[in-house]
Amino acid sequence: MLNRTEYINTLRNGLRGLPENEIMDILYDYEEHFEIGISKGKTEEEIAKELGDPGNIAKAYRVSSTISEAENNPSPKNLFKAVLAAMALGIFNLIMVLGPFLVMVGMLIGLYCISISLIIAGISSCFGTIVAPIFPYSINIGVHPITSISFGIGLASLGLLIGIGTFYLTKLLYQGTIKHLRWNIDIITK
Amino acid sequence: MNIQFKKGVLELCVLSLLTKRDFYGYELVEHISKYINISEGTIYPLLRRFRKEGYVSTYLQESQEGPPRKYYKITEEGLLAFEELLKEWEDFTIGVNNILRGDFVE
Repeated sequence: MLNRTEYINTLRNGLRGLPENEIMDILYDYEEHFEIGISKGKTEEEIAKELGDPGNIAKAYRVSSTISEAENNPSPKNLFKAVLAAMALGIFNLIMVLGPFLVMVGMLIGLYCISISLIIAGISSCFGTIVAPIFPYSINIGVHPITSISFGIGLASLGLLIGIGTFYLTKLLYQGTIKHLRWNIDIITK
Repeated sequence: MNIQFKKGVLELCVLSLLTKRDFYGYELVEHISKYINISEGTIYPLLRRFRKEGYVSTYLQESQEGPPRKYYKITEEGLLAFEELLKEWEDFTIGVNNILRGDFVE
């Protein structure tokens, strides 16, 4: 059986890693709860028991806080943090969810590479055609300049299109992951 | 009772009470646990989430006994969310009751 100090300390330890002002704010609610409960004649142990396991409560706050952080300040690091916190709660299932998630991240990276290569290839094709007359012997593309320039513009545009498309896919995956985490946490936290 | 189920119901109950007047956390817990068996500490994460989502606002008010109390006040957005949840709940209970009490027609 926990008394008030033990309860608050366990909760405080569990909240470590959150911003200090947020921890203070959360603890205030529980201090207030104890204070009022005591003034109504309950014992500290009774109140602690009714409140429920402080470890679980801390976990709920932590996951929810990392998810909001990833939502408000989108960055790969924050998303990764949220995924890790959720995994600690057993929400982000390692095989069923993390696997596909990593595959999708890999695919996005692949698409970005394709996009960048196409743009570079396109630009090189145009550039090569333009500088070819200056170095007639070292650069010989073997096609008509107009063909190679339009070919280059075509490649670069395709690369750009794929890049833009991948960017939207990335955003979609990001939001989808956050939604999924939120949905799960809503279900898990009692 | 099923955790997921209970959690949704708890949200509905908290919002519903807040449409009647402003409450502080302890009062909410007290009222709700008179009728439903809940782990009382879970109401504070819920209230915090409500505040982040803009469903409630808070203010501190001195009391005759003990520390100042953090009161929760429902916002316009909170009222809208409540009405939506209430409708879902009513549709749901009507559906369930039809299954439980209604005639079974093949």
